[in-house]
Amino acid sequence: MVTGIGVVTSIGVGRDAFWRHLLAGRSGISPVESFDTSRYRVHLGGEVKGFEPEPFLRRVSRHSMGRSSHLAIAAARLAIEDAGLPLDRIDAASVGVSLGTTSGEPHWIERFNDQELAGQRDLIGEEFVNRYPCHVLAANVASELGLRGVNMVIPTACAAGNYAVAHALDTIRSGAAAVMLAGGADAFSRITYTGFARLGAIAAHRCQPFDRRRSGMIPGEGAAVLVMEPLDAARERGAPIYAEVAGYGLSCDATHMTAPQGEGAVRAMLAAMRDAGVEPSEVGYISAHGTGTVANDRVETLAVKAAFGDAATRVPMSSIKSMLGHTMGAASAIEAAVCALALSDGRIPPTINLEEPDPECDLDVVPGVARAVQIQTAMNNAYAFGGNNASVIFRAVRP
Amino acid sequence: MSDVAITGLGLVCALGDRPSVVHGALCEGRRGYGVSPVLGAVADGYQVGEIPGFVAGQYLGPRNLRPLDRTGQLTAVAAELALADSGWDAEARAARELGLVLGTTFGSARTIGEFDRRAMRDGPDYASPLDFANTVISAPAGQVAIWHGLRGVNSTVSTGAASGLHAIGYAAQLIASGHATAVLAGGAEEVSFEAFLGFQRAGWLLPPGDPAGPRPFDRRRCGCVLGEAAGLLVLEAADLARARGARILGWIRGWGAGFDSRQDMATLDGIHALSAAIARAAGRDVAAIDAVVASAVGHPTLDTREGLAIEAALGARADRVPVTTIAGHVGDTQGGGGALQTIVALESLRVGSVPPVAGLEEPDHRLRLDFVRSASRAVGARQILVTAQAREGNACALVLASN
Repeated sequence: MVTGIGVVTSIGVGRDAFWRHLLAGRSGISPVESFDTSRYRVHLGGEVKGFEPEPFLRRVSRHSMGRSSHLAIAAARLAIEDAGLPLDRIDAASVGVSLGTTSGEPHWIERFNDQELAGQRDLIGEEFVNRYPCHVLAANVASELGLRGVNMVIPTACAAGNYAVAHALDTIRSGAAAVMLAGGADAFSRITYTGFARLGAIAAHRCQPFDRRRSGMIPGEGAAVLVMEPLDAARERGAPIYAEVAGYGLSCDATHMTAPQGEGAVRAMLAAMRDAGVEPSEVGYISAHGTGTVANDRVETLAVKAAFGDAATRVPMSSIKSMLGHTMGAASAIEAAVCALALSDGRIPPTINLEEPDPECDLDVVPGVARAVQIQTAMNNAYAFGGNNASVIFRAVRP
Repeated sequence: MSDVAITGLGLVCALGDRPSVVHGALCEGRRGYGVSPVLGAVADGYQVGEIPGFVAGQYLGPRNLRPLDRTGQLTAVAAELALADSGWDAEARAARELGLVLGTTFGSARTIGEFDRRAMRDGPDYASPLDFANTVISAPAGQVAIWHGLRGVNSTVSTGAASGLHAIGYAAQLIASGHATAVLAGGAEEVSFEAFLGFQRAGWLLPPGDPAGPRPFDRRRCGCVLGEAAGLLVLEAADLARARGARILGWIRGWGAGFDSRQDMATLDGIHALSAAIARAAGRDVAAIDAVVASAVGHPTLDTREGLAIEAALGARADRVPVTTIAGHVGDTQGGGGALQTIVALESLRVGSVPPVAGLEEPDHRLRLDFVRSASRAVGARQILVTAQAREGNACALVLASN
């Protein structure tokens, strides 16, 4: 069960602000400030402006870690508060952390590179290896919160959040943890920005998923953490229950590193529905991967049609990347939070910036405005470099 | 978890590319480190556990290797060997979704570093899109899935030095939960300039010119040698392995994982998560553990922490269970280490002997463990414990049973 939600995004920190702004269709895209983009042809990003980690840090120093950890810790603290989880009364060894990421702490290797290029190799110190490797994300979250359970980072790029949630589900079901903090985090990275710019994948002005004139994604940053625990435990302590994590499916295209093929995505969706015991006609909402690139949105539409058959045209499917940009390893974690909120709140967020629907993306993409609809089941789709596909299914829990 | 079978092994490290050869070299006390052609002058005076003369094409045939960086190539080779060992040929792989779970700390720090440095030096237009695909930490797993046609779960696991062991436990959990039926699981790490400089600046490396080499668990230990390796196991649901008539090399008996805070890692105090991880991995059968393959690399604090945790978990039998580590021979192979340990453990079960700890003369006086010293030890082992303790607090334990 999802009993707590913590999000740090460009349109709001904390569940309430995020959800309110998401339903209102607010965009978090703005000029990049964290590094100089003057040598690039694109200049927009989805940075979380004005974020201060201090209010969330009690045990560890902000200077002992990087921004991805700051974002992750903030999301974790917010999730625990939201869940009302009494950490001081729970065996710390039974609380685990499972986080997805694309880049870990990219600023520390960027700094390493700046020093190396400036002929200052001597200035590179112990901080690089102590702060850069991606597994420090979960280590820093657990060190800050005093958690001693299973602790891991799953760096499966843009599908990482879904992988982390899926792993948390298995970990709880196996009895290896009583509570899992599952999610993802990524700080805005010039390496990521450079790469997508070189692929010609970054939109210059707006991210327009499913629009005929869409011209790409926009890199972003953020973090989301879900508190997951078994139903009995959640009910016993009177916790809010947003949704049940009902099942998942993972697959690999195994054909191309960066071009989505669709066939693997279909297998992941079918496996997830089989795992959750859900028929396509029962799925009431799909949180799309929906990056806004020409290839992704077309291939994703075809994949949903193949997996859902006749039901495809009846399922609302929106992309919040139209508002946040692509927050990389955090993306599917934030979108998992969206699925849980959609199920508990009875509203689904829109795809914004849609002006001319692409005839090749002809599903119900919830254009422009949020929609009130009571749904029983939601599917969260995420696709990544390496041909990685991950679908997670969430189910409503009625009191 | 007793229904997860191990049906194939593949590895490549500085001491060889066959489990029996590597195990034999370890038993003879051979060391797999020396001068590093990959690192060149930056590592002057340091010993490095680089794989001498590694050429992926020797294993992988004439296909274009350019899309794979060194970590990708090491992983592809380990996968090739493991798949061949377990009988999963291309035809069989086409008929079933095989998964891959790879443990790694950096992915390829070299690819990431060089991609960014080129963009910063020459301008973003000069960065290579092909290399960009390899900058994601999951790139080696993705590339190897493409190379070998692995269409199932494709995951990457990072828990520092525990990554490889963690990946095996995670994969076993995927099989036990019914989310996969056959998974390649293990870890990989390359020797890179970035990792080397990181280790050096953190003070983790054996000082240059030290003639004795690393001495895990020794009173005088003072650092590790940076190494590289890739190791993969084929894990299968028992009924699948039996149905296809696979040779079963052993079983995953159980696994456990936990975490000590980063603050605690600097001291010997506190509860040790590794103890609890071992208890979970062993279940009620701690008394059935016949030997231990630990991860100790020669770190002043970490080796003792790992030893104390093993001691606490084994209880009254702690001074009677042979304990070894392979990092004195092959260096700290980071994400590859846990997979290498697991393969060596399985080979130890098969041949009935446990290799010695390299360089161990005067064991740490705080530990009352039965270290295997100077020569290999014959054991009639049926169950063997593999442990990993990462510098950042991650701990992992795996119990293997012979077939």
